[in-house]
Amino acid sequence: MRWARTALFALAAAAALGALDLPGGGASLPVRALAQQDWRKEFDDVCSKTQDAMALSLEELRSLLARCDKLKPVIEKLEESQRKVFTRRLQACRDLYQFVLETREKP
Amino acid sequence: MSGPRRLLLAALALLPLAWPAPARDVVPPQRYGRVVLGSFTGKAKVPAVAFDHWRHRALFTCRLCHVDVGFAMTAGATKVSASTNRGGFHCGACHDGKTQVRGKVVFASCSESGRIDESPACRRCHAPSDPPRLLQDYQAFAEGLPRKGIAGGVDWEEAEATGKIRPLDFLEGTSIPRKPLKMEKEITIESRGAWMANVMFSHRKHAVWNGCEVCHPEIYPSTKSGSVKYSMFQIASGESCGVCHDRVAFPLADCERCHLAPVR
Repeated sequence: MRWARTALFALAAAAALGALDLPGGGASLPVRALAQQDWRKEFDDVCSKTQDAMALSLEELRSLLARCDKLKPVIEKLEESQRKVFTRRLQACRDLYQFVLETREKP
Repeated sequence: MSGPRRLLLAALALLPLAWPAPARDVVPPQRYGRVVLGSFTGKAKVPAVAFDHWRHRALFTCRLCHVDVGFAMTAGATKVSASTNRGGFHCGACHDGKTQVRGKVVFASCSESGRIDESPACRRCHAPSDPPRLLQDYQAFAEGLPRKGIAGGVDWEEAEATGKIRPLDFLEGTSIPRKPLKMEKEITIESRGAWMANVMFSHRKHAVWNGCEVCHPEIYPSTKSGSVKYSMFQIASGESCGVCHDRVAFPLADCERCHLAPVR
């Protein structure tokens, strides 16, 4: 019984500290923060190639466009200020890849 | 009515058409590139912000603000607000009271207080126009910088080439580390008037400050030669080159700065 109580206490502590993402209750703070870092990391990675866009292959450009499209709904769920800024930034970066792709496909 | 009298009346009627068109206003350099940000200021009962590009241009590339920070090239499209500034975006990306630029801490923008007089920093941007002060600030700023063109504005290209200004292209926490852009391609744009030299468009000169995204595809949706038709009339109306030139970049009256190629 003692080990069960210890295990329950450990679980409760872990949940309170946000180490676990409990079903139904939404992500706890550190988990959310990690998710936030993830979208930013993905954004930085996807949009870091705009300077090299002309040197990318058609396949690479298509893959970047797909990643932009996947990221868009995540950014749309951010708080207002972040959403305003990053929606615009993502769109500019996506538009450039699309532009380069079209230029290369129809020279 | 007799023939000569009819002729005289017709000549008089046509006279206004022969009147010389008024000369284009030459905007003095201290007011050149001024943008008024006032989408939300009326509601907040604070004066609009008069943003002078020259105050920032010596410190940052166009790309840093218009791509990394996310300021749109179209009036009202950025939706900058006190809330975005306080959140560390738009003006607040630098104006946060912590960020240092060239060893100086940049003052914070937009306090939590709704009353402008409670925070002296508010008045640094939300201030009514003060022409003598503006001129004084500009003269102090432009002293020692090379000048060029009809209005005697700062020659930014020369200023950078001679090391008098060193615009930053990276802002910690905002910018994405990128490889420097290598774009050397020069384009000749044929002039429509036989008396005017062709335009030599240098990608290098433009890309070094703007990156790719500032111009493509929003301003130039195609790179195919001849696919984008534009005239000086359209440019003067704010399209194509006119998105920047005659507004922030050097004025259209400085013809020879673009029309460089010798007339055939």
